Amino acid sequence: MKTWKTEEFTKTYGGRQVLDARSLDLSEDQIYVAIGANGSGKSTFARILAGAIATDAGRSAFHGAKPASIGYMPQRPYPFRMSMEKNLRLAADDPARAEELMEALKLTNLRQAKAHKLSGGESARMALARVLMRPFDLLILDEPCASMDMESTKLTEGALRRYRDRYHPAILLITHSIQQARRLGDEVLFFHEGHLAETGRCPATLETPQTDALKHFLEFYG
Amino acid sequence: MYTAIQKAIALILSGDRELIDILLVTARMSISSSVISLIIGVPIGLFVGAARFPGRKAFLVLNRTLMGTPPVVCGLLFYMLFSGVGPFRRLKLLFTVTIMILAQVVLIIPLVVSHMESYISDIAASVKETAMGMGLGRGKTLLLLMNECRYQICSTWLLAFARAIAEVGAVSMVGGAIAWKTNVMTTAIMQYTNRGNFTLGVALGLILMSLSLLVNILVTVVQRRISE
Repeated sequence: MKTWKTEEFTKTYGGRQVLDARSLDLSEDQIYVAIGANGSGKSTFARILAGAIATDAGRSAFHGAKPASIGYMPQRPYPFRMSMEKNLRLAADDPARAEELMEALKLTNLRQAKAHKLSGGESARMALARVLMRPFDLLILDEPCASMDMESTKLTEGALRRYRDRYHPAILLITHSIQQARRLGDEVLFFHEGHLAETGRCPATLETPQTDALKHFLEFYG
Repeated sequence: MYTAIQKAIALILSGDRELIDILLVTARMSISSSVISLIIGVPIGLFVGAARFPGRKAFLVLNRTLMGTPPVVCGLLFYMLFSGVGPFRRLKLLFTVTIMILAQVVLIIPLVVSHMESYISDIAASVKETAMGMGLGRGKTLLLLMNECRYQICSTWLLAFARAIAEVGAVSMVGGAIAWKTNVMTTAIMQYTNRGNFTLGVALGLILMSLSLLVNILVTVVQRRISE
């Protein structure tokens, strides 16, 4: 089993440290669900791992070898001004894969629709399909279901499971839904005030949290 | 006034040779200067909008300052550089359409840069982050970014053209408003009005206003496409 080790790193914006992350092992074929309140550092952590922003030290976020390929769906993915199907095929010109994903995420009837005219939920499903077009060693998804209804969330979770079963990547999924974390997660990463406050197996960590911060968080969100 | 407009319309319909010459010189000067400004200004606007580098803010302040350059100051600068005592006198460009184009290019580039930069800086971070997340390389990301701003480029060209066609200060200084050579619509309007030939002045004014209206309609259409 391939495992990638992340470095300890910090991130500071305008003199305020927003993240102080300790080292972490990310293994293939595992889904890591990142939970925590708004501003707890989840997205910053994800963006640094994805390479979208640099750490304070400006070094790689990984200790030693980094994943050969990293896929990343940001919190607000950009819908390119072209048809939905063309958006998918930008990532990889694989018509069969595009067809499969459009079907899985109920996007087939929107293939010719302009991507920037899709509704919030449709746009999120398109963005997910787009990032699932390629096999990645590490796939990072920043709240992919934030603007989705229950039906779309179910489709998304199904598509993610199939992607994991087929390509065996390490998946880092940021979510605000504890239920989703229970359904999908193998490992929980709990962020609190810019720190990786607690980690552990899922759902055990959610059943018996060790830190007061996670206990309070689960009382509120769980 | 009414009679002048009637006569002007008759002059336009008659295909007066001098009027046609003025229109052709104007078209050459405006189209060339706006296209050259676009070729130079769009990549600069793209770069400044998409990249973050030391001195970027200072560059933007400088660019905004240049946007406010009075055309006569630009004309004066070019006059001094290319006149009989200037360093570029051997090029013999003073009182030619070429130097009018050069002066216009200097005036319009900051406008193009600013127009592109403000649009690109709004979308660049999101486009780059999304493209990177899809595993796309820099070349493809740049192409996508350019594709995203295709309507903005059209709108910028129309604005550049409108600025070029309406400019009078710089072109009159470096072009000299010489009949059958460097006289453009704006300089001709001044010239013929001073001579009391209102018919040609009004005819040119009508054409200029019609072109301005057309350009504004096109800009509105393009901007609607951008927002859709």
